[in-house]
Amino acid sequence: MTAAADLPRVAADTADRLARAEPLKALLTPMADVRASLATQATRVTPAGALAGMPVVVKDNICTLEFTTSCGSRILEGYRSPFEATAIARLKAAGALIAGKTNCDEFAMGSSTEHSAYGRTHHPLDPERVPGGSSGGSAALVAAGAVPAALGSETGGSVRQPAAFCGVVGIKPTYGRVSRYGLVAFGSSLDQIGVFGRTVSDAARVLRAISGHDPLDATCEDRDALALPAEPENLQGFVVGIPKEYFPPDLDPGVRRACERALGLLKQLGASLREVSLPHTAHAIPTYYIIAPAEASSNLARYDGVRYGPRFDGAVDVRALYRSTRGQGFGPEVRRRILVGTYVLSSGYYDAYYRRAQRMRALIAQDFRTVFDRGVDLLFTPSTPSPPFKAGEKLGDPVAMYLADIFTVTANLAGLPALTLPIGRVDGLPVGGQLIAPAFLEDEMLEAAFALERVVPATGDA
Amino acid sequence: MSVSRDEVQKIARLAELHVDDAALPALVEQMSRILDYVAQIAGVAATESAKPFIPGPAATRFRGDTAEPAPLAFPPARMAPAFRDGFFLVPRLGAFEASAQGTGEEGE
Repeated sequence: MTAAADLPRVAADTADRLARAEPLKALLTPMADVRASLATQATRVTPAGALAGMPVVVKDNICTLEFTTSCGSRILEGYRSPFEATAIARLKAAGALIAGKTNCDEFAMGSSTEHSAYGRTHHPLDPERVPGGSSGGSAALVAAGAVPAALGSETGGSVRQPAAFCGVVGIKPTYGRVSRYGLVAFGSSLDQIGVFGRTVSDAARVLRAISGHDPLDATCEDRDALALPAEPENLQGFVVGIPKEYFPPDLDPGVRRACERALGLLKQLGASLREVSLPHTAHAIPTYYIIAPAEASSNLARYDGVRYGPRFDGAVDVRALYRSTRGQGFGPEVRRRILVGTYVLSSGYYDAYYRRAQRMRALIAQDFRTVFDRGVDLLFTPSTPSPPFKAGEKLGDPVAMYLADIFTVTANLAGLPALTLPIGRVDGLPVGGQLIAPAFLEDEMLEAAFALERVVPATGDA
Repeated sequence: MSVSRDEVQKIARLAELHVDDAALPALVEQMSRILDYVAQIAGVAATESAKPFIPGPAATRFRGDTAEPAPLAFPPARMAPAFRDGFFLVPRLGAFEASAQGTGEEGE
């Protein structure tokens, strides 16, 4: 907690750190606006709050009153929301400083932050590589030490994948743990606000602050805020499942080594390890890339140049206005997903694609329930199939890009909480290990993460 | 190819999305690649018996059905591209009107 008298200095120091991180192209808010807003916020902050004086940057698809919300898209360029997300209101009530909006793949669609209309974000350790995505700006700024924590959003792994790539902690809560009010909708049955932290403790404290029931979101569960567990001495009594489908023969050898070392450390901490099977894992990416575009095609129908955002004018009638605004305002990946989503929902294809994907989603969720019902407390997997890839490497092949999320989408499809933490490096690049827990058991997931974080050499080569 | 040029153009019209002719060949190729890839779940017989799964609360609590002013920091006029007298302004409904006149379905 920061004393009230120190807040102006904290605000100025934060702005200085963010300014030094400008070469990463991770922040969309102009520095002058950041500096002015932080100075104002420092005079109004709740000094007794649990996060008093903690600067938090926010992905640009979460509505704020202080800054514009563009979702990384030209179609919302300069858009200023007339309300703020519940998560933002709760951060401010806890004393946090909202330190600016971060770059992201347009409307959170992407795995590299290369699909932003405002340019790509650079990886903090290697500017030739991507920071992951879609919440790449948030991950990069936490990894660069500009802020201790950040908000991102998850639809298929958009917090965990960039967190793993950048070597920080990323948490995707259970669907319904955190209000989606004010999170710009992409795939409504999948979306959740998630958090980044330099440490498990920082991320967990922010998650606690934003969690809990919200009458403004009908999909938010009627539960109290998350209670944080004490950091355990050991993991005696924990049964950790190792799903064999997450360790395929073509897994990057460095990622495999780091995971095996982390599993050895979990065992040394007292956890029992058990190989398990989630047999429908191979179908998760196709299932996700039917359901998410279908929901996106519906959610993004509202961007038409009439109610908000810029209007790409010169149209002779209203339908031409819609088409012109949407055609020029959306980037190539968003256009692709809207078209795929419209296709799989259209007459003649709905049963073959969308209905079948919904049923597959049920089987994927059932796989997890079966494993957890048989006494497994947590699952441990790699967070990504490889360390961060080079910019441009996957841009020409959408499916290759989609496969970057292969280990993360399942938790979104099943609505489960999951967390990534750094478990080592390969050739100097970070590797993340993932923990997945049963619904609303974030506390057990955090206990294991606290214990593993204490013993794993996060920055040493595996 | 899973989809043809004509199908992509038809889907784009349904989605109210202008697509340049020059961009069409690449889009047809990419959409075909994506649709071929996701179609692999068609081969899984077990999907016929599974019930759809939606996460979130089993029972949704609805808010009271009472009209209350939206707590906005500023009115919609400030974020709309064109707004006058409480209405969003758009160009004429030319395409719809022409269609209705052609069918003779419009009233007086």
